[in-house]
Amino acid sequence: MKAIRAMVLVSGDPASIAQGAHEVYQRLQKEIKAFGLQDEISVSMITDVGRHDALPMVIVYPEAVIYGPVKPEDVHFLVEEHLYKGRIATRLVAPKKELSGRIAWLAARQGTLPAEQRIVLERVGLIDPDEIEEYIVHGGYEALGKALTQMTPNEVIEEITQAGLRGRGGAGFPTGLKWRFVAREKRTPKYVICNADESEPGTFKDRLILEGDPHNVIEAMVITGYAVGANEGYVYVRGEYKLAQARLRKAIAQAREMGFLGKDIFGSGFDFDITVHAGAGAYVCGEETALIESLEGKRGEPRIRPPYPTTHGLWGMPTVVNNVETLANVPAIIRHGAEWYRGFGTENSPGTKLYTILGNVNETGLIEVPMGITLREVITIYGQGMKNGAAFKMAQTGGSSGSIVPASLQDTPMDFDSYARAGVSLGSGALLICDENTCVVDLARVLMNFFRYESCGKCTPCRVGTERAHQILTRITEGRGTLADLERLEKLSQGMRQLSNCGLGQAAAVPLQSMLQHFRAEVEAHIKLHVCPAGSCPMSSRRVTTAA
Amino acid sequence: MIRFTIDGQQVEVPEGTTVLRAADQAGIYIPRLCDHPSLTPYGGCRLCIVEVEGIPTLQTSCTLQARDGMVVYTNTPKVREAREFVLTMLFSERNHFCMYCQESGGDCELQSAAYGEDMTHWPIQPNWHPYPVDASHPDFVLDHNRCVLCRRCVRACAELVGNFTLNVRDRGSKTMIIADLDVPLGESSCINCGTCVQICPTGAFIDRHSAYLGLDAEVEQTPSVCVGCSVGCGIEIATRDNHLVRVDGDWEAPVNDGLLCEVGRYQPVRDERKRIVTPLIRKDGSLQEATWDEALNLVAEKLKSLAGRGSDGIAALASTRLPAEALYFFQQLFAEGLGSEMATSTDGHAARSVIVNGQAGSLEALKTADCVIVLGEDLVKDHQVAGFFVKRALPQGTRLIVIDSGENALHELANYSLRPRPETIRDLVAGILAASKGSDPSQPDVATTSQRTGVDADTIQAVAQVIALAQNPVFVCGAGAAEAAEELAKLATSFEIPVIGLGGGANSFAAAKYGLDKAFTVNGQQAAYLALGDDNPAQDLAQQLANVPFVAVQASYVSPVTDIADVVLPVEIWAELEGHYVNLEGRVQEARRALTPPAGVRSNTEVLQALAQRLGIALDGNWLAELGLETVVA
Ligand SMILES: Cc1cc2nc3c(=O)[nH]c(=O)nc-3n(C[C@H](O)[C@H](O)[C@H](O)COP(=O)(O)O)c2cc1C
Ligand code: SF4
Ligand code: SF4
Ligand code: SF4
Ligand code: FES
Repeated sequence: MKAIRAMVLVSGDPASIAQGAHEVYQRLQKEIKAFGLQDEISVSMITDVGRHDALPMVIVYPEAVIYGPVKPEDVHFLVEEHLYKGRIATRLVAPKKELSGRIAWLAARQGTLPAEQRIVLERVGLIDPDEIEEYIVHGGYEALGKALTQMTPNEVIEEITQAGLRGRGGAGFPTGLKWRFVAREKRTPKYVICNADESEPGTFKDRLILEGDPHNVIEAMVITGYAVGANEGYVYVRGEYKLAQARLRKAIAQAREMGFLGKDIFGSGFDFDITVHAGAGAYVCGEETALIESLEGKRGEPRIRPPYPTTHGLWGMPTVVNNVETLANVPAIIRHGAEWYRGFGTENSPGTKLYTILGNVNETGLIEVPMGITLREVITIYGQGMKNGAAFKMAQTGGSSGSIVPASLQDTPMDFDSYARAGVSLGSGALLICDENTCVVDLARVLMNFFRYESCGKCTPCRVGTERAHQILTRITEGRGTLADLERLEKLSQGMRQLSNCGLGQAAAVPLQSMLQHFRAEVEAHIKLHVCPAGSCPMSSRRVTTAA
Repeated sequence: MIRFTIDGQQVEVPEGTTVLRAADQAGIYIPRLCDHPSLTPYGGCRLCIVEVEGIPTLQTSCTLQARDGMVVYTNTPKVREAREFVLTMLFSERNHFCMYCQESGGDCELQSAAYGEDMTHWPIQPNWHPYPVDASHPDFVLDHNRCVLCRRCVRACAELVGNFTLNVRDRGSKTMIIADLDVPLGESSCINCGTCVQICPTGAFIDRHSAYLGLDAEVEQTPSVCVGCSVGCGIEIATRDNHLVRVDGDWEAPVNDGLLCEVGRYQPVRDERKRIVTPLIRKDGSLQEATWDEALNLVAEKLKSLAGRGSDGIAALASTRLPAEALYFFQQLFAEGLGSEMATSTDGHAARSVIVNGQAGSLEALKTADCVIVLGEDLVKDHQVAGFFVKRALPQGTRLIVIDSGENALHELANYSLRPRPETIRDLVAGILAASKGSDPSQPDVATTSQRTGVDADTIQAVAQVIALAQNPVFVCGAGAAEAAEELAKLATSFEIPVIGLGGGANSFAAAKYGLDKAFTVNGQQAAYLALGDDNPAQDLAQQLANVPFVAVQASYVSPVTDIADVVLPVEIWAELEGHYVNLEGRVQEARRALTPPAGVRSNTEVLQALAQRLGIALDGNWLAELGLETVVA
């Protein structure tokens, strides 16, 4: 096996190709050979590097230097300087620019931030996701070998339980316990489902895991299957995640070829295989029972619970449903042990958490940090402070389904329990940071618009409640609200939370509640004074017509 | 048994019962919209919420299974507030202008629930957004403005009818009930069974025939039995001021669990045939009104003159829509009393062949079958409700094997569709059963069967395999497979596979039992007596009778046959008569009088009795005993 010391990625999107990416790629291979480096350096084309301003681009790892635009005639210089002599070829470095949260961005920050800790993202950006060898070199499939040959299924579950791993799909349910529920079921076949539907606006952590390190998730699923006694796995991937699907499919094929999937894995007698299923664009299909309905070929509507998937899941059989990030923690825990894992994060929420940072900060993107850091830290350290020096007003956690966290809670540790105590939730890990110029009513309206669009329409409180709430919020942002509307919103949020059939309708109530609890004065200003304190609602034109 | 309390009342129910059903049994009404006893719980409307001690959140009682020691409250302030919230949401969702609705005033479950909560107005304004009205269907209209998206209709069309016409489009507030891939109902795959209309809790589905003609409280409901075919579905006949308003399926009926097909539900209300209300006698070439005595005397006289004569005597035909009492009299009068060699019924021959060894398979077997073998019957066209039981089970993996040389819409749905050469069904069935049993040297082998029937050997083998592996296989044998019936009977006994025989008309079973089971032909007879009742005579019947010198017809409606009759004796129609029907299972059911017949019209039995009296023939009333049923399922 090769010991790769550096990896070179060439942007292969259509625009890059039009500008000579293929030639650059070929020249790179030639030059690397010429310098005799072909055994220690890998070169690959990737579809999208996340920016399109200096194409074609070449990214060199582990330093994660981004070069661009690179012309074929620059290649010799680049290889000589960077790969042979080990100096950054400054002349070719791409202009500095705010990067979106892609693989390149991640790697660029590796080790540069004080509290960042990589467990889930350990290999993301460092290895070529299309090469199973690179995964193996970095410790891949070691955990699977250990689990299958040295541990009983029960011991695997025990290790995960001891590690205190909790679901990263939003609810924070203890993963070991979930597995135990499935393991103790007698009926077979059982199933493992990896929930990669990730449809929360602004959340893209699962995508980066799948795109950057698909084998990690595959390995985790096989371990899960072994632990609970399942021989079949499904990855339900968001339909738009084409690259993730392609990488997964390729990785699955490679794993099969190498014997990590299929019959008699590691000679243990254990069989496991995985099917990739692409979703069709409904947010609600991320809800585990709707996901299962959809997998079964039905309309994606959440089921009645109980019974839960752990006893009556796919095709009515016992099923584990775990989020991508949850699963991505599993191989590391098996490899290093529960105690090691508990060294990160807090007592009740061990490990790390992935956050996607968005909004009015200077740096947006994805981070992996130990559980329990605070919003203030996120903003100042990872976000590099608020944009234009504006004041932090509130953060929307967990895509849409999280809470609106007011600035007053910015020093509350971000872990499942502390947040729950403060009456807010972590959600899926998106952090939309809003400054003083963001209107809370407008924010709530935008969120509600998402929910009303994504409600599956099965149950009354959610289907109608989101629609009515959106109507009222729109009215308020236009200066046509009344104080009775506040009461209605109160009732709506209470009704939706108490009576909805699934987490979507219940979550839709949360932003409303946060708004009324923490920002009531601001909402009332819209109604009583026809003024939007943040200055973002279209009030002025309305003011004249309604104030009388 | 589970013991728990609802509102302080001790309740005992079998395990698996939901709290809602348990409350119903205890006489405690919990408002609900999406739940229906015949459908699987859905938990969509959220109106049925209750409070349970020890559970912090409100629970939907329609999905919550009762557990020992549970303490449930259905009427706490918290529950009432939540209920009002759900109703407020529903009223605000679309346009519920009750005063214009045909269900308003008791029939609408949404309105009644709101009254139950003392709601007097819309706490939130209605949508004011107009929703479409689909008026493309001949029998009903779907007004989306009144739909509460409970999906009862969708679930009924799928779970009960197995037709899967209705569906849901889009999501959230854009959710709409649609037919097929969103086509107008009138152009859809709908088979006009009306189950969706019957099950809709609001005024969204409007029955074209009965809208505004009477609320449930304003009509009289008479439980009775459908006389459309031998399935014998239980019905509720709704009448008002002696007019038929509509026919509903009886949810309590053991045969059909509330389902009806187009024949049972809509044909009666669409009936536009001309009624005959006085006896008629042909004078000077045309039919003229007469008295009952004149007409009966004339018929009796004629019959008497031909009594005991064989092939040039009397041909007598009775409709299997007549009650068993009348059929029994008919048999005594014509076959025994007058010695007619051609005394038979319209569908008796169909039933004869399928009442195997005097036994009849029960429809219940069809509801739980995991493999159904249909022979010679298009259950999509005839005996439709039996077809519903088959079609609705297919998504659960029930295997369907169709053996029919002719056209059969089930072929399309079948896992195995076999089209043997005509006249070889018997051989095919024998071959298949032999193969499924393993080697039986007395039976033909697969190759021989294949050669004889034209069905390829692999298919025969596969079908045999499926039957052998099935836990609850059922044969359904129709008229098209009459030749195979006996073979089936034999084999079914040895395999212990139930056989359900589909016997044509409503009382075919009884007719066959009374020996009225020949195919009707006229060949030199000097008189014909046709007890048609309210039946539509076969198309060629009038032609068949063209050369018979004297034709007497006992009928309710004008038809080509009454047109050529010499005497017409007017009788009651299905909704007017009283009597019994024996369905294909041998189940004896009572038809009850829902409408008073017009003056001058007599019952079928009365007419036959009056004739018998004039002919000096004694009739006994042992119709039930003569059926020879070991046990009577009523
Ligand atoms: C409306 C809705 C959407 C959801 N979407 C996702 C999703 O995209 N990905 C996910 O992992 N979990 C999602 N969940 C949570 C899942 O239902 C489920 O709890 C999770 O997959 C369990 O995995 P975990 O225990 O590993 O967190 C969603 C839940 C709701 C109510
Ligand atoms: S809460 Fe919303 S998404 Fe969930 S079942 Fe109800 S309508 Fe569907
Ligand atoms: S009438 Fe019957 S088949 Fe037609 S849509 Fe309604 S339930 Fe379905
Ligand atoms: S049409 Fe009637 S039964 Fe169907 S969803 Fe609407 S209200 Fe319910
Ligand atoms: S009746 Fe229970 S949720 Fe509709």
